[in-house]
Amino acid sequence: MNFDLDTDQLDAAAGARRFFTGQAGPAQARAGLEGGPPAPGRQALADIGFLGITVAEDAGGAGGSVLDLAVVAEQAGAVLAGPSLVTAARAAVLLADQPELAAALADGSRSFCVVDGGHPALDAVGADTFLALVDGDLVVGDGDVATGQPMDATRGLGVVTLTGTRVLVPGAGDRWARARDVAVVALAAEDLGTAGKAVEVGVAYAKERQAFGRAIGSYQAVKHALVDAWVGVEQLRSLVWWAAWAADAAPEELPLAAAAAGAFAAETLERAAETCIQVHGGTGFTWEHDAHLYWRRAKVDRLLLGDTAEHQDVVAGLVLAGALS
Amino acid sequence: MDFDDTPDEAAYRSRVRAALAEHADELVHLDAGEEAADPREQEQALRRTQRVLAEAGLVGVAWAAEHGGQGGSLAQQAIVGQELARARVPSLINHIGIGMCGPTVIAHGTPEQHERYLARLLRADDVWCQLFSEPASGSDLAALRTTAVRDGEDWVVNGQKVWTTLAHVSDFGILLARTDPDRPKHAGLTMFVLDMHAPGVTVRPLRQMGGQSDFNEVFLDDVRVPDAERLGEPGEGWRVALTTLLNERVAVGGGGNDLGLSIESLAGLAADRLPGLPAERQVLARQALGRAAVAALANRYTGYRRLTAISQGGLPGPEASAGKLAGTAAAKLVADAGVRLLGADAVFAAGPGDDGSLDGAGRWQRNQAWLPGIAIAGGTDEVLRNIIGERVLGLPPEPREDKHRAFNASGSAR
Repeated sequence: MNFDLDTDQLDAAAGARRFFTGQAGPAQARAGLEGGPPAPGRQALADIGFLGITVAEDAGGAGGSVLDLAVVAEQAGAVLAGPSLVTAARAAVLLADQPELAAALADGSRSFCVVDGGHPALDAVGADTFLALVDGDLVVGDGDVATGQPMDATRGLGVVTLTGTRVLVPGAGDRWARARDVAVVALAAEDLGTAGKAVEVGVAYAKERQAFGRAIGSYQAVKHALVDAWVGVEQLRSLVWWAAWAADAAPEELPLAAAAAGAFAAETLERAAETCIQVHGGTGFTWEHDAHLYWRRAKVDRLLLGDTAEHQDVVAGLVLAGALS
Repeated sequence: MDFDDTPDEAAYRSRVRAALAEHADELVHLDAGEEAADPREQEQALRRTQRVLAEAGLVGVAWAAEHGGQGGSLAQQAIVGQELARARVPSLINHIGIGMCGPTVIAHGTPEQHERYLARLLRADDVWCQLFSEPASGSDLAALRTTAVRDGEDWVVNGQKVWTTLAHVSDFGILLARTDPDRPKHAGLTMFVLDMHAPGVTVRPLRQMGGQSDFNEVFLDDVRVPDAERLGEPGEGWRVALTTLLNERVAVGGGGNDLGLSIESLAGLAADRLPGLPAERQVLARQALGRAAVAALANRYTGYRRLTAISQGGLPGPEASAGKLAGTAAAKLVADAGVRLLGADAVFAAGPGDDGSLDGAGRWQRNQAWLPGIAIAGGTDEVLRNIIGERVLGLPPEPREDKHRAFNASGSAR
């Protein structure tokens, strides 16, 4: 057994961390709420190769694994980056035998959005190419995007009305299901990064802030809340790695692993973000502080690609059907 | 990244499996639905089981050959653990000796002590226990009051230990005692090997909330311990105890093994029970099942990460405390989901609903009554959170007013 990242993946994580911290962060996420553009933005992500990590090499991608992508997605989540690598991961699966469109995904010349019926779709704002499953077929086309006032502007959410679609792949139900599972894994990986960052910010403040003559992090009530959030992050990391690994190495385990990661990610990020606010006291409740930006991501992501209850029900169904035996 | 055995590991696993099959008639096996063996009722059979396993090279796998072990890897030890579970062989009767006492004797004992104890420990010729906690010092272990006073070539020990698992069948124990009450609490301790059959040692079983008796209180009245049975230098007992506790961390929950009933057991119960529930109850039961399964899987795969780190030569650090903390929480979710599936049948610990089937035999109810102890033994949830908070996250400790004062002058001595 070797359940750890390899040297290349650790290097990729370090490189991604440098890129993302130089390109995005809470300030940009806050500016997004007042109309600013997503950061790093599609072209920057394409230029460094992150939109093509799982696109085949002959289509201009890196031909990497979902685990390679998850390692980068964690770093994207830590800085609340947009657009989401979830869209890239999902579109890459859907476009596996469409080299021209896959190349346009990887090089950023097209801006993709994957649509689940009438649900608000991730990265719909500014998208020019929409993918959807209609009557069991994978279709591609244009779309009209209706947006509201976003909870988390980095997600580019909008309700899409498809226009002028054509069938790309008939009978694509299985592929669609796999793409959705991969998307859930990528979302959990981004949430892992966000949750880890929220805990880090909370811990740093708990070491500095004094109350009743000592650092608040010395009080067990504060310490234990942060520890529970941290333990959640470490457990989530294990599920994300397992699910991402399974996507390529053990596809039969992917539905269970993805649903487990999705269910755990939503709750872990919520707890981390809420703990971060609570530890900061009144400061954590202000617009100027970063805590609400992690919290916004938590409250939005928990509703994307299935909520915790839906994922738990998928896990239950698979376990009942003998997935563990 | 992969979860497969290497070719060497696969070969080792098949050797282990073959050995367990070959000796099956000589080993205790758990019945279906049975979770653990009772050392009180099966002491001789359990000792024989361990001896047979030791002779087959399946005990002390990762111990050095010079100490009677197999000189193998921690990965091999994990494989043996998995195969014993698969074969439904219960925990070794001397699991505390192997997991905690033995490594402490190895690290701090003299060559004579190694010679005297280790081979017998591995064969369960001697069963060992760990005499640490006291009525007035549980989580605050260093505040313990049992004294050892030097008298010629001996030390004379007086005091009381408690929560001592296996003391009722033990031959030896490692004993932490206060030898210098004028020094601060951590600095005045010394570790000894105690002969559990020595005059003045009285073991009294305690009955747990679930009705079983796995642990004991141990009274020590003028017990004479030869100085040759000291482990480490006088005043170094805390450092020696940290070796024990470090090994306990690996032994309990470190590998992500289920601390209660397995998620597979829950899946079996659910497949049996769930279809018979009304539709609206099925929804709730499925959610409880899903939640428990997710928690158990998260803990299991986190354990695989720790096993990977250990097999690459890393020592289990304080982050391993998270394994027991999260494992306990997951086990409670699993037990709760199981009891919910039983519904009103679970109001009896066993009884009218007991049809002798796998899940009619009260194991979910027993497990439910067992888990509060798991959240306390080997580091309470709160102590584990302090360890993680202070040693992993770097948060400052609570003020400890007694830490630097002479034990006798501190509140702990009163």
